[in-house]
Amino acid sequence: MKSALVGQALVLAALALVPGLGQAIYFHDKVSWKSSVPVSEMVTVEQARTWGKNALWVDARPDDEFVRDHVPGALSLNEDRWNELLSQFLAVWSPEKKVVVYCSSKSCNASREVARRLRKEAQLPNVFVLQGGWEAWLKSK
Amino acid sequence: MRTHIFAFTLSLILCVTARAELKWEQTLLELHPAAGDKEAVGHFKYENTGAQPVRFKSVRTSCGCTAARSQTEAVQPGEKGEITATFKIGDRTGTQVKNVTVETDDPTNPTTVLTLKAVIPQEIEITPAFVFWGQGEAANPKTIVVRAGKDFPLKNLKATSSNPDFQAKVEHTGSGEFKIDVQPRETTHPTSATLTIQPENSAKMFYATARVTNAPAVQ
Repeated sequence: MKSALVGQALVLAALALVPGLGQAIYFHDKVSWKSSVPVSEMVTVEQARTWGKNALWVDARPDDEFVRDHVPGALSLNEDRWNELLSQFLAVWSPEKKVVVYCSSKSCNASREVARRLRKEAQLPNVFVLQGGWEAWLKSK
Repeated sequence: MRTHIFAFTLSLILCVTARAELKWEQTLLELHPAAGDKEAVGHFKYENTGAQPVRFKSVRTSCGCTAARSQTEAVQPGEKGEITATFKIGDRTGTQVKNVTVETDDPTNPTTVLTLKAVIPQEIEITPAFVFWGQGEAANPKTIVVRAGKDFPLKNLKATSSNPDFQAKVEHTGSGEFKIDVQPRETTHPTSATLTIQPENSAKMFYATARVTNAPAVQ
């Protein structure tokens, strides 16, 4: 009786392994928590603050959220009005600046997209994404 | 004992048959807006195939650029409807994936994630969209390459500078490819220009920026 139970438990455990193995083989690169941004391109609020005036803050949120409140001195650069806002941003940018892009929170993607386009389209160096976004900034105030 | 088994089985059957169930026609929609479209709208259709009404608790989107709404607060058994998701294209390019999270009071399936994939056509690609010189740097020309996007024939284009301190010269370098040589007159003082790039067969304007910065160049 006891050995039969152990046998059944082993069979169930082996069956449970099948989908797990399938996930590991076919979807190993699609783990939901895996960030598409390398760690070297992320920055915390504390780190960015140490850059002082060398940091150029970029707000990737929609216009209405930027108008409501934003990091002091931040420039608005979102994809709704990318063409118009990019030239305004580039007029202020200078090579020694470190660009810190943020959006609403940890789960938003706008800052990653804006940072990617700044690197690819404008070919700017030193572009970072703020970890935790605007929410993290508010918490650290 | 028999009565207990009967009661248990009966309650199980009642639970299963009386359950609320929202069946989605599709949870992934791929949209192909035309060049120049301002927004892309997706319709996620559903039907309540259960025996109980289903109430929407919340409909949330993953991005401020997407708005989603349901037609009704509660879906009666047998009723059909849809969640409309409107994605604001703005100046976005390429493939955009946005999620809509729908929460209902259906205990068997309380959360459904609907995915809206919009493939936005790109007429031309400008690389880089920004060229700059440090103050005092040799005023040599720098090149911007313009390539035609997929399915967009590019036979000719015009580039004009907003500032006479910068010259822009266009050269056809191959099939659907052009180079724009941008040159400042001098780099003794900070100045900038917006380059307007106008493909011959498009109503849309594209832009690049040229600038002499007040710092030494690092390019």
